[in-house]
Parts: sequence; C-alpha cells; structure tokens
Amino acid sequence: MLRAMLTFIQVLVSGVAMGCVYGLVALSFVLIYKAADTVSFMQGELLMVGAFAVVALQAAGWPLAVALIGGVAGAALLGAVLERTVLRHTLGQPAMGQSHLGAVLLTFGLGLMLRGGVTAVPAASHGMFALPLPWADAVVRLGPLSLPGGQLLVMAVTALAAAALSLFFRYSRSGLALRACAEDARSAALMGVPVARMHTLAWALGAALAALAGVLLAPITFVHLNMGFIALKAFPAAVLGGLTSLPGALAGGVFLGVVEALAGLVLPEGTKDVVPYLLLLAALLLFPAGFGARRAA
Amino acid sequence: MSAARALFLACFLLGSLLPAAHAATPGVSDREIVVGSILDLSGPAALLGAPVRDGMLLRFEDANAAGGVHGRKLRLVVEDAGYDPKRGVLAARKLLQRDQVFAFLANLGTPVVMATMQAIVDAGRLHLFPFSPHESTYSPLHPLKFQMFPPYQDYMEAATRHMVKSRGYSRACLLYQDDDYGLEVMKGVESGLAKLGQRLVERTAYKRGATDFSSQIARLRSARCDLVVLATVVRETVAAMTEARRNGWAVDMLVSASGYSSQTHELGGAAVEGLFGVSVLPLPYADGAPPRLAAWIGRYHKRFGADPNVWSVMGYVLADLFVRGAEQAGPELTTARFAAAMERLHTDGDFLGSPGYRFSPQDHLGSRQGRLAQIRDGRWVMLTDYLE
Amino acid sequence: MGVPVRPSRADAADMAARDDLPRTAAGARASVRRALAGFALAALALALACLLLGTDYALGQATLVATYAIAGLGVVLIVGQAGQIVLGQGALVALGAYAECLLAAAGWPPLLSLPAAVALGACGGAVASLPARRLGGLYFGMSTLAFALVVEEVLTRWTSLTQGAAGMLVPAFGWGGWRAQTPLAQFVVSLAALALAWMACRRLLRSRLGRAWRAVREDEAAAAACGVDLARAKSAAFILGGGVSAFGGAFYAHWIGFISPEQFGLMLSFELLMLVFLGGVGRLSGALWGALVIVSVPQLIAVARDALPGEGVGSAGLETALFGVVIVAVVLWRLRGEKRRGGSLR
Repeated sequence: MLRAMLTFIQVLVSGVAMGCVYGLVALSFVLIYKAADTVSFMQGELLMVGAFAVVALQAAGWPLAVALIGGVAGAALLGAVLERTVLRHTLGQPAMGQSHLGAVLLTFGLGLMLRGGVTAVPAASHGMFALPLPWADAVVRLGPLSLPGGQLLVMAVTALAAAALSLFFRYSRSGLALRACAEDARSAALMGVPVARMHTLAWALGAALAALAGVLLAPITFVHLNMGFIALKAFPAAVLGGLTSLPGALAGGVFLGVVEALAGLVLPEGTKDVVPYLLLLAALLLFPAGFGARRAA
Repeated sequence: MSAARALFLACFLLGSLLPAAHAATPGVSDREIVVGSILDLSGPAALLGAPVRDGMLLRFEDANAAGGVHGRKLRLVVEDAGYDPKRGVLAARKLLQRDQVFAFLANLGTPVVMATMQAIVDAGRLHLFPFSPHESTYSPLHPLKFQMFPPYQDYMEAATRHMVKSRGYSRACLLYQDDDYGLEVMKGVESGLAKLGQRLVERTAYKRGATDFSSQIARLRSARCDLVVLATVVRETVAAMTEARRNGWAVDMLVSASGYSSQTHELGGAAVEGLFGVSVLPLPYADGAPPRLAAWIGRYHKRFGADPNVWSVMGYVLADLFVRGAEQAGPELTTARFAAAMERLHTDGDFLGSPGYRFSPQDHLGSRQGRLAQIRDGRWVMLTDYLE
Repeated sequence: MGVPVRPSRADAADMAARDDLPRTAAGARASVRRALAGFALAALALALACLLLGTDYALGQATLVATYAIAGLGVVLIVGQAGQIVLGQGALVALGAYAECLLAAAGWPPLLSLPAAVALGACGGAVASLPARRLGGLYFGMSTLAFALVVEEVLTRWTSLTQGAAGMLVPAFGWGGWRAQTPLAQFVVSLAALALAWMACRRLLRSRLGRAWRAVREDEAAAAACGVDLARAKSAAFILGGGVSAFGGAFYAHWIGFISPEQFGLMLSFELLMLVFLGGVGRLSGALWGALVIVSVPQLIAVARDALPGEGVGSAGLETALFGVVIVAVVLWRLRGEKRRGGSLR
C-alpha cells in the first residue's frame, strides 16, 4: 500500500514537472496567438535552437549562467529578427481564413530553415548533449520518498518565469501596452501604442519562453535535433487553457502532464500518448463556449 | 501565375541539362563506379544517417586514395529521404534513372526500404546492407539482396538466453518502442525465453519521442521484474535506467544494439553503470585505442569535424564489404559478377573489431551474431565473444 | 467576391478564374484560355522531363504529382472554398490508403474498394470536424490536428488489422488479370483518377453547396442571413474534402507499395496545406501546381546539389533548409501579390 502510494506520488511529481515544460511552451503559443492572431508552428524548433545555443556557448567556454542567459536572449533576438524580416508581412491582412494560413505556413517554413541550419552542424547531427544544470542530478529524499532535483528545478524555474511574466504584464509599460494591443490593436494604436514594436516584442518573448523550456527540458530528454517535438503536446495544452489566457496555458500544461503520467500508470497500454488529443477533442466538443472569447460572433 | 510556370519550366530544364551516365553495366565506367544510398539526414533517424554516410565516405575515399578498385574510383551519391517512403521512392527513381547507380548501399529505415526495394531489384540493381530489421532484406533468397546486420530477433534471442541461463533470472520484462524495431526485439526475447520455458512477465511500450518514463518504470516495478530488456534507443535507455535508479530500483537491464552507444554512458553517467548491452560492432574508443584504430579515429575527426560513433563504424564496415566484393569481382565488373563474388566472400575480423562476415549462395545474411557488453566505470566492456 | 476589385479586365478575369466560375463571357473565355494554356504547359513540361530525365523517372514523378493533386483537391474544398482551416488532412489520406490496401488485399476490385475508401475518408472528415463545427476557423485546425494524431495512434495500435508500425505491403492496382505495374500504366490510371476527382469537384463548386461555401467564406453573418446553415455547410466541406483526399490516399498506397502509420503524420498534412497555398487556394488548378512544387522541389534541390562543385554530399541540413526557404519565399510572394491586388486573401 505504501509502495503504491509512493509510486503514485513520484509519477505525479514527474507529471507536474513535464507539465511545467508543456506549460512554458503553451505560454509561448498563447503570447503569439494573442498578439499576432496566429499559431506558430516553429516553437518546437525555437526550443531546440535555444537549447543548442546554450550548449554551444557553454562549449565555447562561457560559464553556465552566462551561457543560459545568452542562449535565451539569443532566441529572443532571433524571434524579433524573424518578426521584423518575415512574419511582419502577414500583418495588415484580414485576420481570417488564409492570412492565418499564410502565417502558419510561414512559421512552418521558418521552422524547417532553423532545423536544417542546426542539422548542418556536424556535431549536432552526430549526437545528443547534456546540460549540467545545478541540482539536476541531485535526489531530494523526504522520508521514503525520493524526488529528482531536476524535476523540482523545472517547477521552481517555471514558477519564477510565470511570476516574472505576470509582473511584467501588470506593472511594466511595455507589458501593459502589449496587453492593450492584444485586446484591440486599433484602439491601442490610437492611444499611441507602437503596435508594430509590440508585435516584435511578442514574438521575441515567445521565442525566449520556448528557449527557456528547451533548457529545462535538457535534464529530462537531453539536447538533440528532435527535442522540439514536445511542442505537439504543448499545443493541446494551450487550447485546453483557452488559447487566450496565459494562466490558463500554464494550468493546461500542468493538467496535461499529470493526466498523461497517470494515464500511463493506470490505463491500458498505449493510451498514454493519445490522452492529450482526446482531451483536446473532448474540450472542443463539450465546452465550445469557453473558447469563444476571441471569435468574431 | 505565368511567371511561376515559366519558373518551373526553367527549373526542369536547368536540372536536366546535367549529363547522366550511360554504360553497359549501369554505374560502371572505365573511370568510376557510382553507388547510391538513401539515408535519413533530416528526419527522426538523422542521428544515424549522418555518421553512416560519413563512415561510408571515409572508406570510399580511402579506396580512391589507394588507386580505386581495379582502377575505378568510387563515387557515393547520397539522397536524403527523411524516413519518408514517398521521398524514398523519388530518391530511388533518381538514383536508378538519373545517376544510374551500380548498387544501393545502406538504405535507411524500414518504410523507405520496403517502399523502394522491389523497384530496385526489378531494375536489376544490387540492394546491399540496408538499415532495416525486416526479414525480406535477405530472405527469401534473392540474387541481388545482401544483408550484413544481424537481425534483432536472432541476436536478442541469443543474448536473452545467455543472460537468463548464466544469471538465473526468472521474471524477465520488456520496455519497447512501439514500432517495427520494438516488435522485432520482442519476438527475439519471447522466443529466447520460450526455449528456456519462460515467458515475459510484463511488457510496456512507449512512443518514439516520448519524454517521461516514470509510469512505464512504475508499471514494470510493480510486476517485480528481475531483468528488464530494453528495446530502446540511446535517450530512452538513459531515461529508463535513470528513472529506475532514482527510485532505488536496482534491477538488471539489457539493451539491444540500438542502445549500445558511447552516448549512453556519456549522458547517463553513474545511473547507467552496470547496464548490459548487445553489440554487433564495437565502439571506437579513442582512449586506449590500438594505434591503427587511433589513427582511424583521428582521420575521421579531421575529415568530418566530429568524433566517430558506432554508426560511423557500421558505415565504414559496410562500405568495406562493398569494396572487397568489387575487388573480388575482378576488372570486368558486372552486377552478376559482383553478386557471385559476394556469395563467396568470407571476411575475418578487422581492426575495428567486426565479426567475420560469411556469405554463401544459400545465405545472403553475413552475420547473425552479437556479443554481450556491460558499462563498467563509464565505458562499454565486452563480456563475451560473438554469441551463437 | 464580396471584396473590392479594381476594375481591370485582367484582374476581373483572374478573380473569376480563381473560383473556376466564369462570371462573364469574357471571364469564361479567359478561364478556358488559362486552363488550356495551363494544360499545354503541363504537357510540355512532362514531355521535356521525359526527354531529359528519362521517361520512367518523369512518369513516376508525374504519377505522384497527380496523386498529391487529388489529395490536395480535398484541401482546396475545405480551405479555398469554405474558408476553414485543416491541419490534419494527412489522416484522411491515411484512412483512404489503409482502406484501399486492406480491401484490395482481400480481393475487392477497385470499383468496390475505391468507393469504400472514399466513404471512410468522408466519415473521418465528419468526425474530425465535429468538435469544432460551431466554432470554425482556427478551431477546425485544432480539432483536425488532434484527430490526425489520434488516427495515427490507432493505426499503430490496432495491430491485428493494420500490422501496426511494422507496416503493410500494398498489392498492385488492377482488376481481373491486369495490374498497373509499369510507370506508364500508373501514370494513366492516376491521370484518369485526377480527371474524375476534378470533374466531381467542379460540379460541386457549381452546385448550391458550392455557393453556400463561398458565402460562408466571404462573410459568415451575411451567409447566415441569407439562410445558409453555417455549421452544416462547414461540415459538408470537411466530409467531401475528406472523401476526395481519401481517394488520393487510395492511389498513394498503390504507388508507394508500402504503408505505415508514420507516413501520414503532421508533415504530410502540412505538405497538403502548403500545396494548395502555393498553387492558389481559391482554384482547383492550385492543387495541381502546388503538387508539382511539393513533389518536384525537393527533387530539384537534390539535382541542383549534385551539380554544385566539391562537397555535394556534405549537406545534411541544406536540403531541409532550402525547402524551408522555398516555402517562405513563395508564401511571401503570394502574400505580396494579394496585397498588391488590393483584395483580401482569396
């Protein structure tokens, strides 16, 4: 009985940790969706590029902390540059039908370019890399319970990032301006908010969040070419959270992580991987009203 | 749109002005032999594709530096199919018809191999040493199909039997990737156990790209397994073993050749100490390598900018078999002569530590054996010779 | 079209042709001219390709182009006509492919198995779009994406039927004693199939349903005011689009000869979406042009790479990156074109 309880708690904790990573990527989806009205299909690639950037900087002799900041900042810069040079062209199109499609395809194409670029580096195509994050290998023991330090670290960093984001959106000038943009771009522009700059900011933040998720994922899955596939799980999380709500995205991510982990423990073989998508279908089917906020009625 | 149409036309023209080789035997001229390979350089198996390609290139360049095969230089044309059979089919057609390759070497991925193999042998080209566990790559016997990689099923059966017999396990379990690779390993493990009157106590699967193994390990643990066979690749091997050790479960684990990689202990560290693995070709460790191997590692690094891994060795060894076959086939190279030479080919181990490969007119599978290894002090150590 | 169109004749003709629906006599003539010119160019390209690339290679390429174009027609119905988004069309191609493979292996003639495959695809389209039928737009994208991932998982797990991840060999297409095994036979069959699908779609566009779709696409509120049942029109697009894509999938299975679940993943869905966007979502011929790009661009990149001096083979990521560049460039080019025309994006 105790054994079963312990197993349950351990599976639960790793579900929450995984869910935090989903949540961070889901946050980046939502940020971009709110600002630019499109779903970005390059978040997985940005995540991978960010993690590789940290590995490369560290290999170049930078101290870990500096490499971390450098990698995440680099991803943000990349996001901003892509917005300025490419994604901007989808703006000014009516926000329905094919312009969504144009933006979706643009992000997909950019994702392929990023992926191809990393693949062309011989070292990246030859193997996987570990990031020696502090406490990642430690094991925290609470009585009979042993919790991996890496997972606790993921939760702590996610909480910090969420807190920082909410402070940013509540108190900083740019944060407020970004929110205004997301609510109603035209009125925001009339109020003197530099809408174009806010778009750049949203893509940069989205890229930075994805890169941060990549760094946190590193102790769990290591850094490799296909680590970005996790974005496919984060996407349902974003939708479950309502697609327009930042706390919702985070909660959706954690919920999904937990459900997935418990499904693997309790439900029959093979259901674990379908659960997120079945949940997504069910959510769309059963609670359409909850998602209609931004839909032109 | 008319601009776009003109563009297509221009592209078509541009692409097709390049000359295609025509010769009596496709791909063989007085000066060179053209060999094709459909690899995955961008898809889910890109971590295999790149080193395999580099290994093959290195062997071909060695042969060319030594004057070629009977005076002919070897040229490798690599196509990237990204594990996608549709791209594989197109790549095969390009290699067959545009590049007129003499043989296909090391096509990678079961979907790609299954979608292209028939067309290749129908066109009368050799289909050599594909990276696919599928039986049809060597059986039933076909004059143009040769395979050198032991099937997972055969060597996992031998390895499971050896482990259970010599170490007295009674509750063997399996964690497997739910694709053709995992299924082949499962067949081998099941038949190995059946021969000893046992069966799998528990089996649990994961999807390629899975991140978290806590629930799978919890499942296996509650089944009280005393041996967990892993049909996993490197990352999943490390994740599964780490998860078990972290929870204080000191069960023995045995991984197939796909987890036998230096990355397993580089990434896994202390958690993977004691892991058993099956090896079909040894890893090239630079540290403590005999001079010839050390020189090879150095050349590889200098040429490609990355350290060789076990896939590089596979690429090199299979290209070496091709070169030997072509040498034995004599100066008048034809497909039939090459096939006949392959059927006579017997090799002994080389400096990379490969087993001997034995082909015959009745058997086009060069080797069925793997050997047991274990991670000790952060590197793989061989425990047995190649197991029958 | 419900959008401001500058009164230039070429533009008007173009806009009309984009719906394959001639509005005026001049428009009709222009549309016919365009279609003729298009087919003449396609035939010329094929002839040239045969001459220069080798007949079998070119015919094989053309077979795949035609097959992709059929699958793309399904997306044109959904995206181009009804104005909805679909991100999981690959799953419907998969349903068609698996149905055809299993039935053909069981000895059904194509005349029976193909309709069954289409029916299964249509059912799939209905199920995939059901959760979002009252939401529309991007939510269809999400529900179809989720559906596609579930289908992939089911195909992997239902091993007794589909042999799971090990995949299935597909028997050659044919009936009686005849089998389509030469590249020429395969090309002729897929061309006939494309013509059939094309005519069906054309009829559809001219029907009441086709008009309803365009009304929904242009302005949902106005369409509803005119008595169009929005949810029903949208569902119909997914059902019919699913059927058409499954029809393409059935032939895909025969030509590739081996099917396994991962072939029909997200990449295929995106390729189909890209295909219609590149070719022009609004018209049926967009599917054909898009298919030509999607199938031949990676091949052209491979050929061009061989022509590069020196390190031809050392380009692991180069092809992926170049494919990405092509997509980005074409999408930007189209967006700019639409902007210049001053209309919305249809």
